[in-house]
Amino acid sequence: MYILKCIAQIGGLLGIALLGNKITQVFDLHFPGSILGILFIFLLLEAKIISLEWVETGANLLIAELILFFIPSAVGVVQYKQLIITNGASFGFVIFLSTVTVMISTGLLAEFLNKVGKGR
Amino acid sequence: MLAGFSFIITILSYVGAKILYRKKQSVFLSPLVICPFILISLLLSFHVSLETYSAGTQWITNMLQPAIVAFAVPLYKYRALLKKYALEIALGVLGGSTIAIVSSVMYGKLFHLTPQLLDSLAPRSITTPIAMNISQTIGGLPAMTASFVIVTGIAGIVAGPFILKWLPIHHQVSKGMLLGMGAHGAGTAQAYEIGSIEGAIASLTMIVAGIITIMVAPILVPYLH
Repeated sequence: MYILKCIAQIGGLLGIALLGNKITQVFDLHFPGSILGILFIFLLLEAKIISLEWVETGANLLIAELILFFIPSAVGVVQYKQLIITNGASFGFVIFLSTVTVMISTGLLAEFLNKVGKGR
Repeated sequence: MLAGFSFIITILSYVGAKILYRKKQSVFLSPLVICPFILISLLLSFHVSLETYSAGTQWITNMLQPAIVAFAVPLYKYRALLKKYALEIALGVLGGSTIAIVSSVMYGKLFHLTPQLLDSLAPRSITTPIAMNISQTIGGLPAMTASFVIVTGIAGIVAGPFILKWLPIHHQVSKGMLLGMGAHGAGTAQAYEIGSIEGAIASLTMIVAGIITIMVAPILVPYLH
């Protein structure tokens, strides 16, 4: 029963994602259809056209296994073997430094905004 | 045959890594680190082409799209929380996204990377499908961007816990924003390990960062060259 429910709900979410893709394609919008899909589901829930139980089980499963869906793309780096052999260390340094910079500044900025926000 | 095998091995390595990771919470056992390592080693040692592997695993990658749509559910469930912190999230993510783009390109220049690689690096702090899209728009290599996004995820889940431990960042919202902004989906998964509020904030941050980067990157990146 749980499996059938998951398959049906994931199928529905996939359908919405594909619909989003179709719309961005037809109207030549420069962003992924899945972002439009988030908006659709959110509005359908907000308008109570669909209830949370209709999508929640499948959605939770997809989010819990999110990392799985990135793995084949990560394996794709193998095609840039040469580029990675020559520049790999630089990529690693740049990405690590930049990620740490982003995390520290975002974290401190958020903490500051939250303190200021408390005064509202 | 080999394509079907690629699919099965990918799923098995993921399930195995996940079980190991649950027992021993070391980042090197995180499926995002260990699975590509194992799979690339297998492809190289058995001389399987990337085309064959990709054909077999196309559906795994395709599931990223409904998975992104699925984020509507936590956004809806925590809408009151999100409304409460809307201003903090909007300003924090605008700042974070700008710093992500500028620091990626600037550090890249410091290491003398080519303009095409700088463009591929610029959108690396957001979720893969959006990042690849932006990379294409601004003249980068989308597949290279995908790998930069993955490395960002790995760097983020390695560095995140230390930053949270050492810096005076205590608010649940700040923790979620730090992880969602710094390490997109991987950071969001880690934020959910801390708590459901951190996770919900991280997922919203990831989505907002994607939308802001779509708008900011094409304007900002040409000035950075």
